[in-house]
Amino acid sequence: MYVKITAHRCMFSSCANVRLWRVMKSVFFFVLIGCLQVSASSLAQISLNKTNASLRETLNDIRKQSGYSLLADADLLKLGRLVTIHLNNVPVTQALDEALVGQPFSYQINGRTIVIYAKDKGVTEQVVRKLDRVTGKVIDEKGEPIIGATVRVKSDPKIATVTDINGAFSMDVPDNVILLVSFLGYETHEVITRGSTTLNISLKPVSKDLNEVVVVGYGTQRKRDVTGAVTSVSAETLQQVPAQTNVVNQLQGRVAGLDISTTGNAPGSTSQIRLRGERSFATSNSAADATNAPLFVLDGVPFINGSLNDINPNDILSVEVLKDASATAIYGSRASGGVILITTKRGKNGPTIVNLNTTTGITNAIGSYSFMNAEQYIAFKQESIAGNSQTPNTTSYPITVAEQNGINNGTNTDWVSTILRPGYITDNQLRLSGGTENTQFSISTGYRDEKGIQYVQHYKRGNLLFSLDQTISKVFKVGLTSNNSLSNRDNIGDRLATASTISPLLSPYNSDGSINVRPAVGTLGELTTINPLTLRSSAIQAITRRLNTNNVLYGEANIYAGLKYRVNASLAYNQSQANSYNPVNNIVNTNTTQDQSNASISNTENYVWLLENILTYDKTFADKHHLIFTGLFSAEKSHTQGSGMNAIGIPADYLKSYNLFHGVSNSITNANFPYSERGLVSYMARAFYGFNDKYLLTATVRRDGSSVLGPGNQYFTYPAFALGWNVDRENFAKSLPWMNSLKLRLGYGVTADQNINPYQILGNLSAVAYNFGTNHQNGYLVTALPNADLRFEHTNNINLGIDFGVLNNRISGSVDVYTQKTFDVLQVLSLPLSNGASTTLVNAGNSKGKGMEITLSSRNLERDFKWNTDFNISFQRSEITELHDGLQQDIGNGWFVGQPFNVIYDYKKTGIWQTDEATEAAVYGARPGWIKVEDLNDDKKIDANDRQLLGSYQPDYITGMTNRFSFKGFDLTAVAFARMGQMVSVNYLNQADGFFNIGRMNQYNLDYWTPTNPTNGWPRPDAGRSPLYASTLQYQNGSFIKMRTISLGYNFPKSILKDGVVKSLKITAVVNNPFTIYAPLVRKGLAFDPESNGYGGQDSGASGFSGNALGRALTIGTYIPQTRVWSIGINAGF
Amino acid sequence: MKIYNKIVVISTVICMLSLFGCEKLLEQTPRSSITPAFLATEAGVQGGITGVYQNLRSLWGSENYFYALQVGTDEVITGGSISANGLSLSTYANFVSNNTVYNDVFGTLFRNAYQDINTLNGVLQFGQTAFTDADVQKQYLAQAKFLRALLYFELVRTFGDVPLHTAFITSPSLSDSRAPISDVYALIIKDLTEASTELQTKSGEPITSTNISPFAGYAATRATALFLLSKVYLTRGWSIAAQISDFNNALTTAKNLINSASTYGKGLYSSYDQSYSEASDISNKEILFAVEHNADPKYGEYSLAAATPVNFNGWAFFFRPNYPTIVANYPTNSGPQLVTRDLANGRPFQRIRPNADWVETQLFADKTNDYRYWNTFQTTWIANKAETTPRGTLTIGADTALWTPPYDPGDVKRAAFKGVIFMRPSLATAATGTNKNPYTPTMYPSVKKFDNPGRPAINDASLRPLVLMRFSELYLIAAEAAFKLNDFSTEATMLSVLRKRAAVRPANVPPAPAGAVAQMEITPAQASAGGIDLILDERSRELFGESVRWYDLVRTQSLVRRVKALNPQALPNIQDFMILRPIPQAQIDLVTVGPKFPQNTGF
Repeated sequence: MYVKITAHRCMFSSCANVRLWRVMKSVFFFVLIGCLQVSASSLAQISLNKTNASLRETLNDIRKQSGYSLLADADLLKLGRLVTIHLNNVPVTQALDEALVGQPFSYQINGRTIVIYAKDKGVTEQVVRKLDRVTGKVIDEKGEPIIGATVRVKSDPKIATVTDINGAFSMDVPDNVILLVSFLGYETHEVITRGSTTLNISLKPVSKDLNEVVVVGYGTQRKRDVTGAVTSVSAETLQQVPAQTNVVNQLQGRVAGLDISTTGNAPGSTSQIRLRGERSFATSNSAADATNAPLFVLDGVPFINGSLNDINPNDILSVEVLKDASATAIYGSRASGGVILITTKRGKNGPTIVNLNTTTGITNAIGSYSFMNAEQYIAFKQESIAGNSQTPNTTSYPITVAEQNGINNGTNTDWVSTILRPGYITDNQLRLSGGTENTQFSISTGYRDEKGIQYVQHYKRGNLLFSLDQTISKVFKVGLTSNNSLSNRDNIGDRLATASTISPLLSPYNSDGSINVRPAVGTLGELTTINPLTLRSSAIQAITRRLNTNNVLYGEANIYAGLKYRVNASLAYNQSQANSYNPVNNIVNTNTTQDQSNASISNTENYVWLLENILTYDKTFADKHHLIFTGLFSAEKSHTQGSGMNAIGIPADYLKSYNLFHGVSNSITNANFPYSERGLVSYMARAFYGFNDKYLLTATVRRDGSSVLGPGNQYFTYPAFALGWNVDRENFAKSLPWMNSLKLRLGYGVTADQNINPYQILGNLSAVAYNFGTNHQNGYLVTALPNADLRFEHTNNINLGIDFGVLNNRISGSVDVYTQKTFDVLQVLSLPLSNGASTTLVNAGNSKGKGMEITLSSRNLERDFKWNTDFNISFQRSEITELHDGLQQDIGNGWFVGQPFNVIYDYKKTGIWQTDEATEAAVYGARPGWIKVEDLNDDKKIDANDRQLLGSYQPDYITGMTNRFSFKGFDLTAVAFARMGQMVSVNYLNQADGFFNIGRMNQYNLDYWTPTNPTNGWPRPDAGRSPLYASTLQYQNGSFIKMRTISLGYNFPKSILKDGVVKSLKITAVVNNPFTIYAPLVRKGLAFDPESNGYGGQDSGASGFSGNALGRALTIGTYIPQTRVWSIGINAGF
Repeated sequence: MKIYNKIVVISTVICMLSLFGCEKLLEQTPRSSITPAFLATEAGVQGGITGVYQNLRSLWGSENYFYALQVGTDEVITGGSISANGLSLSTYANFVSNNTVYNDVFGTLFRNAYQDINTLNGVLQFGQTAFTDADVQKQYLAQAKFLRALLYFELVRTFGDVPLHTAFITSPSLSDSRAPISDVYALIIKDLTEASTELQTKSGEPITSTNISPFAGYAATRATALFLLSKVYLTRGWSIAAQISDFNNALTTAKNLINSASTYGKGLYSSYDQSYSEASDISNKEILFAVEHNADPKYGEYSLAAATPVNFNGWAFFFRPNYPTIVANYPTNSGPQLVTRDLANGRPFQRIRPNADWVETQLFADKTNDYRYWNTFQTTWIANKAETTPRGTLTIGADTALWTPPYDPGDVKRAAFKGVIFMRPSLATAATGTNKNPYTPTMYPSVKKFDNPGRPAINDASLRPLVLMRFSELYLIAAEAAFKLNDFSTEATMLSVLRKRAAVRPANVPPAPAGAVAQMEITPAQASAGGIDLILDERSRELFGESVRWYDLVRTQSLVRRVKALNPQALPNIQDFMILRPIPQAQIDLVTVGPKFPQNTGF
């Protein structure tokens, strides 16, 4: 009967929490000018000065001044008389006494809570009458109707209805009852009816407090019951970065601890995803991805062998990021990289809703690489001749006749521009959903077409998602989710590196206007340098068609009160077919005659089946003891196989790769025939106990058996425990009215990793072939030694977290600190070369990680003009604590105890030898203009002992910020993110291919040393040799802050759409990647985009790192630039 | 209620099924890859041997290993496009502590050799039980012994003391140590001695019991094992592990092989050019061992005109000058190019070039009686375009467009010559008149012995067998052994065989002057007076550019002396310790347990 009065208006009078803002400001460029209310909790001395004020207002003032909580029936208070009162610094009791003089109420103070109650029953009976017709309309915070909201009588829940397509409802109720109006995602609203009446009910969205329901894996939980570190991302948040190919791009910078780095910019590229850093120091980037990437779970089923491109981001209802082991342990052996749960939208009880979402945009490169133009190139060539250290004043790469003609004609070709074009994006989505009490359905279909900015890069995808939930009886329910996609990805690869090195003095066209196919006449590359314009040929084929279908069928039985059995049967299948055809006289095939055209075709298919049996018991005893038990048994098998074939000499271009029999010769390669199977058998039990919603305990145990490990080591058990304390439920907390919610969490858990390829315990022979004359034979070489003792790698994790909401939930957020220690890291051990086999797989070494994550949401302005901010920042440090055999360093793999997993180890460039240092330079075999590196031990020679750690690829912190402004129908959203403090290798700065400064090819325009330009930046061009220690040039500061997306939307008001077919209409204009806010790399002119665009490719230099070790690092190379997308979207509801 | 029952039944069945499958789910059965257990079968043993043959391609023919074997000697200097690794090895500058060279060049040898040796150790171990037929077993395992000896020989003469593994490594070790060269040589000689009686007599000769042998082409035969054995004896004879009988054994083994050549179907052609002709490749009686290639994408690892081919025979590339850059008005940068790239002239890599000042004037001082200079070097490039130079218009296929004579043709001839003439810089500077351009790092005489005009595409690497052991070298081995035994008579006899043949000219050129053969004869007195340099010069004339030079100079303890005397590029930097190569840094870094793996002195 009593409701707690929490409503109090914002005063917008004082700027609070200055310190907090200062922190944010120091990190971000935004200057926040928000003003927030302070609730000063003063000692109870009450001053009132009111004339004919309402009782409610008066009591509320007393509450505020006293700092006490107030419990009263808001509707009853309306029966109170107006109050005239003048008091100065009196105790609370006196104030209450005076305010309630002559009123039908009395009061009682319990602790720090004031309870107002009616003096006699008559007052309450006074408001009860008989059946009245109540009509009304339920709208959301924007004034849009809410369809399908439930309206029911609180005292008699059987009297209920749902709102129609206009948000309207009508029902007969007894007079003076309390109606509960509820809708998922909104705070339940209570309203008292008084006679036949029309109500306009506005629901507030659930603020990011602790009342949300979140998906936690094998079930859902109220957020306030959650004991693990879980971040929930709503569809709305995701769609603030709209029109993306996959959800990864939408999550970048949005979740504290989730670090997403670009590894390619062609349409359909995915990214490197790491949650709370890395734990396994894996040899290669693919191994690191396999063992460190989070596990994705789609609608409750592990998404294995799938591509995130297979999930249409528009279908996503929410993404839950499970971070700590107490949350992830239920996924056991695949959870050490964290778990990301993706839940798709399903149908709801209510009228059928049709929603159309369409986006069209144009894309362009966000910038261009600064390669030398004609003038710079000529100067560079001349300087390389002057600087020839081997045969002075000569070059093996002179200006050719064709280039001389180019000089005479003033040719200055930007070759990169010949392969780039404006791209576009179109994305159309149609969704129907609805249902009855017993049947709910949802059908969503979409088509996306993304034309890349380089020729022969194009991505098209069609999606169909269908879900059905059917309640058969009180006991049984079945359902189905089927997620299907068919995509065509055209991707010839990035040709920018090839195009960019061609001399700008050459012309792409002959004098007659035809294409100059081989422009580099007279150079060593004359046959292999083909005009990049040929990339526009329609004969080129580089397409991968992929069919993916994920199907989950479930059956649920409510066996007994609170006891539920569920079975999930899932089958996922995908098939990729790659067709490739490379015509001759083309940048993709430099040969000249048709019998040298080449084609290939390959097929890969995967399937995964999974059976899960889940038993759940959910019961509350004695109103205080809430118990949930979940038990699981599951079995899973995944299978991969493939085939492929190549042909040379396809007789006509139009045949492409459709029939390889037409080729002059056919061949197959070993790599085209993968085959692997892996099985996983799991048992899991989880128990949750909550006392009075205050004290929470979760205990989990999971046991996994994996096929990829050695006999006797196939099973592993993971325990996890977590405690939660909802401090806000404590009585003493009630005296802190500014504190709306507060929860402390402490979790401990174990997760594991068995994400190695199958069959590794058996060792491997690599298959080769040889011709003894004309006698052809297959051969084998021992390349990997078997290790039957492989066992699970596991991680112990401790997480301490706090969730809070303060100042009427104007500011809410979480802070988590954690440590994680990983043991028995599954790693490929590089063996001394004299072992024969170069590698073996072992469990060796330990690592540890620690970090802090802060997530804050604030509602800065809340009137007509609204301003919300979401901010997150995370600090993560990983380090190797132990290597195999007690080593302190393992240089071949690039691992050092006490260091992060990916470090830079090389000589340290201290500058360029200057003319007056010639004598000293000669001691090191160097000359003025050459790179000077530090002689660490001062032994007058540069050798392996002078190598040093120069930094790491691990960021100091990553952070993201979203600001959302709205006014009337307009809203403006800006999403920014940053990755700070890490190093990056910029591959083109040292020209790892060895051509730097020989003057053979065009290259990035740098401020190189000459006798008259004695810089310390880049060495002197030298036609005689590539510079010593060139690798030292590539290591750069990779910090950046970028604006990811700015979108401006307009919601057409209902008044305009009135009576139309269209129920809602929103138009949004978006720009993705509008600008870079901060990046030293860009400021120094060394790149136009500070974000990584690939793996590896850097020069090993003196590091001694293996190719695999180098390949793990995120790098910037001459690849296709990131795109800026300008798009317009229309979202219409019918 | 029916439907409920059905669901209950189905659910129960599903649960039951999922329980039953469990143990089977955890089994592993690879189906597209092969595990080391396969080595224990007959096909596995044969495959292991074939695998090692294939892996020889990753060394011989590759650019880096070519540098290791060929550059930094008296024969060659750097070309215009030599890589940083090649530059270090060619000039010995920035070589000490250069981890890139250590790992790229010597790491590749170290890694591949030990990978092969381990596979061969597996073959020899499992091969004891894999076969049902004793003859098959003997012949197959003899291949493994030969290959193991070949690889250890390569290691020991490159690095000195090296790890000696003779058992298949099943569990990896992170420690290793170096065995003295005497132990390594002992194993090599044991393996080769056995192989020389167990191997097939002729290549591809059917094994009696099965009537087949996979080891056709230029796979090892008894003759191959004997050749290598004689060379190993010779090499050990010069080394600190020398045994008294080594030179005698080397001489005897070589002489016996020469004398019984017909047993093995081997022998010397009557003219030098025949042994290098592309036409002889199918069955060249002078080739005792070669790494083979063909145009099959799988077995020959042929990749059409790949910019960076894998496991290719690059020997035909590396000497090529950048002839297509020479334009009509050379040395000014105008006019059309005179020769475009074609099959005959090949892909210009210009990694190295002949050390012309020595090669043209001293090594091949006699180019009249000794025709090998002309058999070895390409000095003319025939016009394949009808372009006009200041001296006239070239006729396609007839006129020489580019000419690199080892002498000055004279003012008159040069002025009349329509194409462009290049001469060694000393000649060009001294000459008067016109059309006298010095050799540059991009234009110089090329080595033509490895040319492969029959390959499919211009940019293709050579598909010819890459020869590691030639019958002719036996005479040089025998001569050197005889020299060390002070048997100058035998030395002279052996050298004279090759020298006299060198006077024989190909059919399509003007005949040799009268008495040329006799002029080439060498006497014991000359042999005695000529010392080791006489043999080394003869080696260079006979085997120029064949990737044996570095070892020849090191074996005969002549490297530093001759390089200082003859190679001005390397003179300032070469030091006495450089007769051994550095242990790859990766090996030193990866030996992480136990004593540190020692580096060679000086590096």
